[in-house]
Amino acid sequence: MPYGNLLLKSWGDEAVVFDAASGDTHYLKPLTFALYQTCREHPGFTAAQLATTLAQRLNVADTPQFHELADEVFAQLHQIGLLQSP
Amino acid sequence: MKLLQMTPADLRKQLAGPGVWLRTGPFSMRLHSRLPAIAAGLADLYGQFEVRSPREAFADFHVTVNSPSGIRRWVKPQAQFSFDGQQPFKPLPRDQAFPMLEWGLNWCVSTQAHQYLIIHAAVVEKNGRAVVLPAPPGSGKSTLAAALALSGWRLLSDELTLIDRKTGNIQPLPRPVSLKNQSIQVIRQFDPEVFINRASHDTVKGTVAHMRPPRESVLRQHEPARPGWVIFPKWEAHATTRLSPRSRAQTFIFLAQNAFNYSHLGADGFRVAANLIDQVGCYDFRYSSLPEAIAAFDTLASDTPQD
Repeated sequence: MPYGNLLLKSWGDEAVVFDAASGDTHYLKPLTFALYQTCREHPGFTAAQLATTLAQRLNVADTPQFHELADEVFAQLHQIGLLQSP
Repeated sequence: MKLLQMTPADLRKQLAGPGVWLRTGPFSMRLHSRLPAIAAGLADLYGQFEVRSPREAFADFHVTVNSPSGIRRWVKPQAQFSFDGQQPFKPLPRDQAFPMLEWGLNWCVSTQAHQYLIIHAAVVEKNGRAVVLPAPPGSGKSTLAAALALSGWRLLSDELTLIDRKTGNIQPLPRPVSLKNQSIQVIRQFDPEVFINRASHDTVKGTVAHMRPPRESVLRQHEPARPGWVIFPKWEAHATTRLSPRSRAQTFIFLAQNAFNYSHLGADGFRVAANLIDQVGCYDFRYSSLPEAIAAFDTLASDTPQD
């Protein structure tokens, strides 16, 4: 599945992404892949909205700790270039 | 004509003169050497392989293994591998000339043959489906591949899995199987009839010897196989034989990291590797007994629908 410079291939709840710009390949574990999909589906959401939607998607408690975890994963996705700031 | 049809004297003469043209899998090479160990290794292990007149046939790789010039011809003699006139490696003790040829040929393929995605893995086939056996060094990959090849499985390669970028099929490259240290004795005990050549000691990999590839595997070296499984073997003392599913995405990452040219191929490397993972079952495999391991693989192959 192409997203601009990115090629994504998923198997179940995990995925791999190839970034044609950098040549890097990334493994997305289930939580990371779910957040990545949520970001793609809701590009205008705030970090808090994304974390709440992600909690619903994964059927886990929407707690401050989960928001903190989602923020960390969100930052990682930015860091490796899979998400870009608007 | 096959190499075994050459007399030892002819083989030495050709190697020292115009060279020996040899085909292994999809590759042809022209070999030159004045070292007796190279002639002996070829005679011992490459008898079933096709040879032609080097003056009449094109060769993909031009390879030489000889003594370096200078005093090292006589004092602690060495062997030097050359490819198209370049020396990609430092010389090694002359006792390691034949392993050096094998390592050098692997290097030629892994750095030149970009029509394939090349994964560092053994690969064997039965009933039309191939098992790719990637694993870190010391996991028993070559030992298991050798035992499978001696038990009715077709050896495609013990080191280089060649994925055809156009078809996704696996191209055989059946060459001698590199056995290290205890594996040499393990395979001798597993099959007392097996031919394993003279060991070279104190190499960077320890003691190394090579097992002659089964005749049937060499005869079918132009017959590709469809990928069936990617299985990560791990020998553990007293382990119960166990095949357990593993993550496809993590298997992809391991293969990408252990491919020689994944980065070089860019997006196409990603596509070929993803296509491979789509087609195969991914497993971890623990074992302590080779016969039990063979039986587990035979069960896997027999459960596969025939084409």
